[in-house]
Amino acid sequence: MLGRLSIFTIYCYCGLFVATLLACIGFSRTSALAFTSEEIATMKAYERVAPSVVNITTHQCEPGYFLCAVPSIEGAGSGIVLRPNGLIITNYHVVYGARDIEVMVAGKRRLKARIIASDPDYDLSVIKVNVGKRPLRAIKLGDSDALRIGQRVLAVGNPFGLGETLTAGVVSMTGRTLKDKGKVLKNLIQTDAAINPGNSGGALIDLSGRLVGICTAILSPTGASVRIGFATPVNRIKAVAPGLMNPWPKTVGLLTIVLLAVLVLRSLFGRRRRAVEVG
Amino acid sequence: MRYAKFFSLALAVCLLIWISRASALTDEEVNNIELYQRLAAGVVKITSTVIEHDVLMHAVPAEGTGTGSIIDPRGYILTNKHVIGSGKLVVTLANGKKYRARLIGSDLGSDLAIVKIDVPPEGLTVIPMGDSAGLKVGQKAISIGDPFGLGKSLTVGVISSVGRTVRASNGFLVENVIQTDAAINPGNSGGPLIDSSGKIIGITTAIFSPTGASVGIGFAIPVNLARKVASQLIKKGYYSYSYLGAALMDLFPEISRVLKLPVKRGALVTVVVPGGPAQKAGLKGGIAKGRIGNDIVMSGADVIVSVNGVQVNNADAAVREIHRLRPGDVVRLGIVRSDGTPKILTFILGERPPGEHNRAAVSRIIHRPGAV
Repeated sequence: MLGRLSIFTIYCYCGLFVATLLACIGFSRTSALAFTSEEIATMKAYERVAPSVVNITTHQCEPGYFLCAVPSIEGAGSGIVLRPNGLIITNYHVVYGARDIEVMVAGKRRLKARIIASDPDYDLSVIKVNVGKRPLRAIKLGDSDALRIGQRVLAVGNPFGLGETLTAGVVSMTGRTLKDKGKVLKNLIQTDAAINPGNSGGALIDLSGRLVGICTAILSPTGASVRIGFATPVNRIKAVAPGLMNPWPKTVGLLTIVLLAVLVLRSLFGRRRRAVEVG
Repeated sequence: MRYAKFFSLALAVCLLIWISRASALTDEEVNNIELYQRLAAGVVKITSTVIEHDVLMHAVPAEGTGTGSIIDPRGYILTNKHVIGSGKLVVTLANGKKYRARLIGSDLGSDLAIVKIDVPPEGLTVIPMGDSAGLKVGQKAISIGDPFGLGKSLTVGVISSVGRTVRASNGFLVENVIQTDAAINPGNSGGPLIDSSGKIIGITTAIFSPTGASVGIGFAIPVNLARKVASQLIKKGYYSYSYLGAALMDLFPEISRVLKLPVKRGALVTVVVPGGPAQKAGLKGGIAKGRIGNDIVMSGADVIVSVNGVQVNNADAAVREIHRLRPGDVVRLGIVRSDGTPKILTFILGERPPGEHNRAAVSRIIHRPGAV
């Protein structure tokens, strides 16, 4: 009885000690950093995503006097790195009609980009930059079907060409349909995170730092944010992007290579066999 | 029996924890509410009355409102310079009492001002100043202010970016400006931007907006600059900038080619103030005017290429480096004479005379002027 009691008290003391220790650590942390759990999640998510969101500057040609094309600095937009090799997804309306496209990575690396493929119906474009020996950081894709109204989302982009900017809000509604200039954009995410011109093509992420949407449109009587922004869900990108990145599906490419190889081999061996027969 | 006692205790503890967790508010909301209750009394409304003239030239009093934070129990209130205007100042405390305030000092370069009310310290809530050096994008930013004169309002957002540089109305650059998506509107000017621990991290000063109201892009002067400016304003009534006594402009390769200079980039000296520290040290301004396109340039002038060993590529960089120094500090200017000879000038920086800001206007015709 005495032995059991002493073991029990030791357990109790141990438990108390650990609890006190944990409480101390927790207290010292909150008092030192003084951040709420939501702030910590927001900061971490931004740090994770920031290198994967790029600023896009497009230069358009304008007909000047005598109809010679005069280059003029036009639009600013954002883009999201999909693959480390330099594949970037953005909005079609960001790069539409651009003479040349300049991509700014991590606030200092300037790279020239070219359009790989566009899908005006979904307002999506895939552009490619030459990364050389320094690959880019690709974003992690989330699941936009799992989004819930009221869930916190963050928008990372380049509003008004000011430079990389984080804005925060919640999912206001999902499954919105927008009609714009004869185009119909379906199943959009609506958010109250401040989205402004220049945020187009930028990332809408959740607090775990995964991409859930691509900022596409705003509803506004003024042309700037009134906290009604729309994002194309990432699941649409998942469905469309493989085709955009590679117009030939992988299996078709593989089959072609196998077929060619078989043809070449057959022609080689066939000729040899014929030679033997003649001999 | 003993076990039963232990289990009942554990159950009670669990219940207690569960009850405390199951409150209807998240820790984020609890934090916001606590901060507002603690600090709102330290935020004041500032009304300035100025006499304006209507179309028939009748004098009409016009009111502008802004926000300020009480930063000292003696009654010193920090706000924006553009809030105070030039007329009668009235400060309204959180309890609704109104006091006449007097201007202690203001600084155009940082758009900050200090006003004072004579109230016993017991009646004042002071908002502590924090540190704007270690701020992280994504952390919370709370603005308390008086948007559109509606009355006290709390808006919450995150820090959208740090380290932006904006140009003040006198051409000076303000560095490390904080950008936030907390709704900041006209009337919020001069109010505090507060972090989740309840300390001032910035003074909400400007917004970027095509509409004139918040589009989720607001800017705040970092508190580390505000603290320096405020303490000098309280002590002396003005903020002293280090002073070279020269107006500068950007040197471009095109200008360099015309002037036949051996350097392509730097800060070209256009005017040297007679009797200023730069003139005494032998810095030379332009002699003859030339014209390149729309730019008027002065030939025969020195080019500043480095300040204390730091290379400068344009006028802004030179101004920034000189403003990092204090009046009375020794500066080592690396210059190139108009005939191409490099030289180093070492001398003591002066103090910018009050009102000397207007000097910048001398070189307004020149592309991107800067005066130090």
